Amino acid sequence: MTVMRNDVVKALAKVTVQSNEQGLIPEYEVLVNLLPVSLLNTLAERLLAAAPERKTEIEAGLVRAAYECGYHTGCGIITSEIFSDVVMPMVTEEEKDILRGAYAAFTAWGWAKSGIVQLKEGQKLIIRAFDYYEADSKGDGLRAYMLQGLNQAFFELAYAAPYPDGMDTFVCKQTKGIEVGDAYGEFIVTGK
Amino acid sequence: MPGLYGPMITGDPDDRGLRGNLSLTTITDLLQFLAASAESGAIKILRLPENEEGMIYFGKGEVLSAKSPERCGLESFADMLNWKKGSFNFLPGITPPETDIGLSVQHAILEAIVLQENHTNRFTPHSAPKIEEGSTYMEQEPRESTAVMNDLLEISGIDAVVVVGRDGFVIESAGSSARVNIDELGASLAHAVNGIEEMGSELNVNQYQDMFIEYGRAVIMCKPVGDAIAAIVTPDASKLGIIRHKTKKLFQELGMSF
Repeated sequence: MTVMRNDVVKALAKVTVQSNEQGLIPEYEVLVNLLPVSLLNTLAERLLAAAPERKTEIEAGLVRAAYECGYHTGCGIITSEIFSDVVMPMVTEEEKDILRGAYAAFTAWGWAKSGIVQLKEGQKLIIRAFDYYEADSKGDGLRAYMLQGLNQAFFELAYAAPYPDGMDTFVCKQTKGIEVGDAYGEFIVTGK
Repeated sequence: MPGLYGPMITGDPDDRGLRGNLSLTTITDLLQFLAASAESGAIKILRLPENEEGMIYFGKGEVLSAKSPERCGLESFADMLNWKKGSFNFLPGITPPETDIGLSVQHAILEAIVLQENHTNRFTPHSAPKIEEGSTYMEQEPRESTAVMNDLLEISGIDAVVVVGRDGFVIESAGSSARVNIDELGASLAHAVNGIEEMGSELNVNQYQDMFIEYGRAVIMCKPVGDAIAAIVTPDASKLGIIRHKTKKLFQELGMSF
């Protein structure tokens, strides 16, 4: 037995997405919100347009923001009650299965239709994504900032020092992207 | 006898048989063609440049017997399936002195492939090649999975190829099948393989290596590739033997990507 992605997606997709009076959705032991993808993409586009000469710094900042958010939110997800109820009973391969469950949660919540292609425990992770935030964004070059950050965060939650001491152990590089005409986005996480 | 570079298959006016050359067809293709034509007789094979001769006898869709210089029966048959250069001559109506195989053509090809695989596993060291100083050996970059999957699709009889993670995530697919929904196939395969692996573990019979599922409207063949599962969809089982033979190396290559 291992984590069955479809079962997780079906179970998690049933979660009620109901925001509170502050517009936040308390779910997975964290607070999330429901906003259009174009908001994030427009923010990235405007930042890059405002200072094209600082493209490298801005891109690094966007990845970092996603990474820090992903690290803390990811910890909330994999330690949440719903994750324990739905995913943990299927876990037989420890961290590997927790990562599988985490990517199923990604998909269930519409963050990215993504999954594991190759996993060398604690060393390397290859992810493919068929739909993600920046897939339809405007710009030049590979620019899946959100998934780059989230992939690094999730691999660290699984294989680096226990939360919150495992940050900045790994790095994620994007090698393919729908936004540049590839059939899918591909991401490789390795040690720094 | 026509030369090595003669036509693939020709009729011979003297013995009404077929003859041709192994660089343009394979024994498996030829056997399946003759079996489908309900022919009986023997295929006489000349292997070049070794100049070895072998015979495969068959009748009523069954491989009855095989004989090559150093082997007989299934071992000889398996050996001859790997003969790539030389010529063949189909001799209709010839019967074998004895029946030492007696399996349908498909079944005989499958058994021969299993025999070859066991033989290869026994004699192939699994370690990487030793690279000595000054060696000209260069590790080849593995091809992208998409290229390998497209090669799989070129094999006659394969409608679709899909690679699925152990959790049912459809990593990649190529081709299309009107018979099977590829996304649902991913989830179903992961469930099925998990069950099969648990069974293998309970029975202590090592890891699963192949799985064939024959339905009324489709046949699905799966194989582990790295940490993932590759599956091909074919309309029926008539070409399964040849498909299994031709996909073997491509599945191994695919395994390097997952």
